[in-house]
Amino acid sequence: MRLARFRACLALAGALFLTLTPVGGTLSPPGVQPDGPEPPAAAHGKPTRIMSLMLCNDLLLLMLVPPERIASITYLAHDAVEALMPGADRGVPVNYGTAEDVLLQRPDLILAGTYSAPMARRLARRAGARVVEVPATNSFEDIRRVVRQVGAAVGEPERAEALLAGMDVKLARLAAERAARPLRVVAWSGGNSVPGKGTLTDAIITVSGAENIAAKLPDTRYGSFGLEELLAARPDAILQGETRWTGPSLRDSQTAHPLIDRYWRGRVIGYPDAAYTCGLPQSADAAVALRAVFRGLPAESPAW
Amino acid sequence: MVKANRHPQVLFVLLLLLPAAVALSLAVGRVALPFSVLIDGLAEPKPNLAWLILSELRVPRTVLALVVGATLGLGGAALQGLLRNPLAEPGLLGVSGGAALGAVIAIYFGLAAAFVLAIPLLGIAGALAAGALTFLFGRSGTLTLILAGAAVSGLAGAGLALALNFAPNPYAAYEITTWLLGSVAERDWAQIALCMPFILLGWFCLAFTPRGLDLLTLGEAQAESLGVNLGLLRAQVLAGVALSVGAATAMAGAIGFVGLVAPHLVRPFVGHQPSRILLPSALFGALLLLVTDIAIRVLPTSNELKLGVLTSLIGTPFFFWLVLHLRRLSP
Repeated sequence: MRLARFRACLALAGALFLTLTPVGGTLSPPGVQPDGPEPPAAAHGKPTRIMSLMLCNDLLLLMLVPPERIASITYLAHDAVEALMPGADRGVPVNYGTAEDVLLQRPDLILAGTYSAPMARRLARRAGARVVEVPATNSFEDIRRVVRQVGAAVGEPERAEALLAGMDVKLARLAAERAARPLRVVAWSGGNSVPGKGTLTDAIITVSGAENIAAKLPDTRYGSFGLEELLAARPDAILQGETRWTGPSLRDSQTAHPLIDRYWRGRVIGYPDAAYTCGLPQSADAAVALRAVFRGLPAESPAW
Repeated sequence: MVKANRHPQVLFVLLLLLPAAVALSLAVGRVALPFSVLIDGLAEPKPNLAWLILSELRVPRTVLALVVGATLGLGGAALQGLLRNPLAEPGLLGVSGGAALGAVIAIYFGLAAAFVLAIPLLGIAGALAAGALTFLFGRSGTLTLILAGAAVSGLAGAGLALALNFAPNPYAAYEITTWLLGSVAERDWAQIALCMPFILLGWFCLAFTPRGLDLLTLGEAQAESLGVNLGLLRAQVLAGVALSVGAATAMAGAIGFVGLVAPHLVRPFVGHQPSRILLPSALFGALLLLVTDIAIRVLPTSNELKLGVLTSLIGTPFFFWLVLHLRRLSP
């Protein structure tokens, strides 16, 4: 659910670019090939003014390079940073994903998402920056690929490998001690957009040793999962994205149906949206945390 | 009123169709349960799945569809009678917009989180405020009333955009866009129970208007000379519509076209006398919305369609046809 919305946000940011990109004037600073193969970081030295245009890149960037080498991260990052690595963004400037930000901050490397990449490339010619497009992550394999990609782009491949090694240690530990009873769970924050197979949330749930009942939906990514289906499937626990970072919303009232409170009291598990939206090394921590919460759940299923 | 003698038959047909639609509505849902299982569920020890789905999800949903549909049909018929304008509907007076604004403020500024029934309460307050504003500035005549309603609708729309802009949640605009399209799915009994008194009160207000509306068909001056208190009549219709439609909108979102189409669809059968249209229009509105709600449950879409989408898709062509048909009939 969150991922879909973040994507909508990013698409919006992309649209902003489209409207703000200066028309005409395709003067390219010499030596910059925005669309060509990425030159190895060593050839130019490490980038020192890195700008991120996507929330997930923000988080990865803060883990990989010291703040003084970051030109800016997006204004969306703060809440997610507070949830995952409090204080890490102190003193780091923010951008609003606009063309003016790019031209003003004069980055030497732009980390863009799928939606902002085409606009960033067009703009990069004028700004003189290299653009790296970072795809979305839907599995732990995706996380490994993206962390390595960003690590190479910012000139910190060793740091990226270290982060991934930490993640893999946790994943291996989770795999070694299988949960005794595989719980049947669903990430349900109102039934409109429930993550099914092929989503990062599904991957985290699976690694934690539980079974995502929404993975059986014919719709393989995000599907609807109404209260009727919830009653019929009778999951052992319901995961709900925490809303304390985003302020009140309509979904609070959708998730507050008395049926949920009556039959899943003590079985509703809040989780940090950021770790489930962005594929990060912390996604393994999310799975570890989930396993611990599952252990504490009452053994018997909801009764009816 | 030549066609008035058909009135009882139409009521009879509607009363026959409604139970059939209700039965269908209880039988159809995202989880396919055979009718026998549903019946067994009532007898078996509770709680069981069939009983839970029926009592906590499908029955409230059906009740809400009926109540909201009836409210819209009744409101549309009353407003078309009062304004003597075939295009009148609850949305026209800004009542739906006001209700939506109230509900949005409740949702996005933490009131709903602090007090779960704040959404319907503020929706009703918004509808009442919008209705009162329309009445205050539009009391001098029918045309002014329509214009005032349009102005208040615009104001409510601006207020809605402003509220969404200031909302701390970045997804507010997305959520509210879908919410406004209307749905009666997954509302609980407590929410329905809070809205019902206001809706019933609104219906009660409208129950006093048929005689005045009938006389008003002769013209405003003639009606007044026959002893109709026009100010009171307007106040009754507006209060009735604001209370019932306001509460209904807060529950189900802004559902278009039912209030516009229902009176038109019953008119060929019961004649054009406003007093004879009110009840059939309410019944037909209820039937129309319930059938629409069944349709969105049956249609194999990944996400359930919203009620307003379907009512508009079905309602618009039919309304166009009706307009052309009426034009051909009139000299």
